Amino acid sequence: MEYGEIIKILLMLAAAPLISGVISRIKNNLRLRRGPGIFQPYFNLAKLFKKEERFSEHSSWLMKVTPYIVLGSVLSAAVFMRAGDLILLTFVLSLGRFFLALAGLDPASPFGGFGSSREMFFAGFLEPIILLAVFASALSGGGAIEASSILAAAALFLATLAETSRVPVDNQETHLELTMVHEAMVLEYSGRSLALIELASYLKQAIFFTLIMLVLWPFLVSRIGWYLLSLLVLAVIVAFTEVSLAKMRLFRVVDFLFFAGILALLAVISAALGV
Amino acid sequence: MEKLLFELTRLGIVPVRLTNENEVYLEVSPADFKPACLALHKLLRSTVMLMFAEDRRSSEGTFTIRAGFIGTKQRRWFFVEQKVPGPAFGSIAKEIYSANLFEREIKEMFGLEPEGNPDGRRLRLHDEVWSGGYPLRKDFESAVSGPIGNYPFMPVEGEGVFEVPVGPVHAGIIGPGHFRFSVAGEPIINLESRFGFTHRGVEKMLEGRDAASAAKLSECVAGDAAFSHSLAYCRGVERACGIAVPTRGDYLRGIFLELERLYNHVADVGTIALDVGFSFPAAEASVIKENLQALNAELTGSRFLKHINLPGGVSRDLDQASVKNLLAQTAAATRDFRRLREILYASVSFLDRVETTGALSKKLAEDLGVIGLAGRASGVKLDLREVFPGVYDGLKVVFREKGDVLARLEVRLDEFEESVRQIERLAARLPEGAIAGDEVTVGSGQALGWAESWRGPVLYWLRFTDGKLERAKIVDPSFHNWTGLSAAVLDNIVPDFPVCNKSFNLSYAGNDL
Repeated sequence: MEYGEIIKILLMLAAAPLISGVISRIKNNLRLRRGPGIFQPYFNLAKLFKKEERFSEHSSWLMKVTPYIVLGSVLSAAVFMRAGDLILLTFVLSLGRFFLALAGLDPASPFGGFGSSREMFFAGFLEPIILLAVFASALSGGGAIEASSILAAAALFLATLAETSRVPVDNQETHLELTMVHEAMVLEYSGRSLALIELASYLKQAIFFTLIMLVLWPFLVSRIGWYLLSLLVLAVIVAFTEVSLAKMRLFRVVDFLFFAGILALLAVISAALGV
Repeated sequence: MEKLLFELTRLGIVPVRLTNENEVYLEVSPADFKPACLALHKLLRSTVMLMFAEDRRSSEGTFTIRAGFIGTKQRRWFFVEQKVPGPAFGSIAKEIYSANLFEREIKEMFGLEPEGNPDGRRLRLHDEVWSGGYPLRKDFESAVSGPIGNYPFMPVEGEGVFEVPVGPVHAGIIGPGHFRFSVAGEPIINLESRFGFTHRGVEKMLEGRDAASAAKLSECVAGDAAFSHSLAYCRGVERACGIAVPTRGDYLRGIFLELERLYNHVADVGTIALDVGFSFPAAEASVIKENLQALNAELTGSRFLKHINLPGGVSRDLDQASVKNLLAQTAAATRDFRRLREILYASVSFLDRVETTGALSKKLAEDLGVIGLAGRASGVKLDLREVFPGVYDGLKVVFREKGDVLARLEVRLDEFEESVRQIERLAARLPEGAIAGDEVTVGSGQALGWAESWRGPVLYWLRFTDGKLERAKIVDPSFHNWTGLSAAVLDNIVPDFPVCNKSFNLSYAGNDL
């Protein structure tokens, strides 16, 4: 791999928290609030890196190594995306998720168990959706915008909401442990480990946003200007979605993901028929 | 009323004492206590509104235990009274469930054993820190801390059943309470709550106080119902000692009581939305709530409407300009509130979360003695403002039948409108004159004071002797309704608990006293 590629991926890692900062800012403005600045995620990360780390006395080595595995898995997912191997990308992300779920159970906190069980419950639906959407785009060859690419991008967008724990699937802002999905798994983390996990989540979000563009119209990622503009548009769409919807009842999420799955399947069919 | 008395006479319960216009005391022997309570419970269709003991050993040589019921048709309170000399009394909890917590309270505060009550556990004084002494006995000196014990929660066993402890320290800015969930996957199969973490010994602190300083303390029992609590207390004093309140004072009390309801109802509508992740209306609601609390501060100097009630009247008057300001601001709040209401009803994703969630049937609500706002959402149509109207005119009691989160939300939405209507009426008819009695002398006497707070009936039973409080029994509606929450969440899934809880929004401090 060239040095240029490595630099690009590191740049992506460095810029990823900004997306969350922008989304949060837009959301707050929509809710008549000023909200923190768009660089707040960086300050949070810096704070967490400086803080002391505490581990539950019931936890094992698993909890300590998981943040590195998670960040590593997301970084390699970014590499595979650059290399164009989207199937490997999906499975590498699953590896990170698997360890995160184990780490949720490890400290024997009641909330972590809830989080792990819910996350894995959703994951079973999410992975096929992502694979189908990617498959559709591979079938259609990925040139201009077609019916199949729009369908696949829509399916991926819904999957992204779930993957990045956004309303209506999850709620990043809540303080209510009993309702959390992703957050419940990482509740016991602190300090540097938490920072690494959050950094991984930011990068994962950037990867998914990029995937949506790749599937919709690869041209969008070919120029840096277009890429940044598309990211901003996606951020606005996500912010509006989050503010205008209530979170779904846990078991309703299945319907939501099922719908995304149908979209992805339609994308494959229409790509295969060449519509 | 005659029919009721006839029925009681037929049961052999004769001695009836009528005090303060609408308090009826039936003095019965310990053997007659249960039949009399059962008869009232059945005839009045009333839960045990309050039940308490009093240490009368110095004057009469015994304890007195009273159980209070409300006759909505008769517009009277009925108390069954028995003298208990010894260490035990007959429990009525198996027949009337709403007496259960009161009996456990009497047991721990007075050391009187409710014979036949199946639940022998402590209520507020935790075994972990408390080993002996009965605080509300007159000869009680100081608390003793003991060795760490264990509180036996009801065990639920089976394959895949887990116990999930939550609290008493919570992530949000709420009071402390411990919730023990038994779950099979996501569905809740049992919920037990444990309170007492904010027990301050208010009833004991009130003993020996004069009427004015006790009024200040009553505002601190439950902060979000500060006005209702002080109102119930002041009415108790006034009724016990025959103090007249000028009409203008009564009207102002009505206005302030409704103002308290307004800001609390808006806040709850917002937090219900927030708890299902619907942040936009929650932000709207917080703006309306802030405006209303700022209005409270403008009118009275207190955002929580404290320091207004005095025995004999109120301390703050509203001049012409203030009344105008009040009407303009409540009208503005109503406009904003209606828009908020439209946003909520226009959101399918929101309605899907609140409909059928946390449903409490009417039957269950009646059996458990759920009252107030939560009761009305389940079809228990009790509103003290209707039973004892006073300054209220043509109050429309808001109720729903389904008892789910949506029903409790809708009761709030409609009561907000009704409260604004009542404020307008009261302001329009506000009579001229004094706002408080000139000379208030507090002598001796006993009486019940009440107020329909936004949560439900707040009751203060008071006995004064020579200007000093001898016994004060406080009942916040939360004390009745926490049991209702435990019943409402059954068969719901764990992530829906917070919104069920918020739809009841019960007070920890009001429960713990």
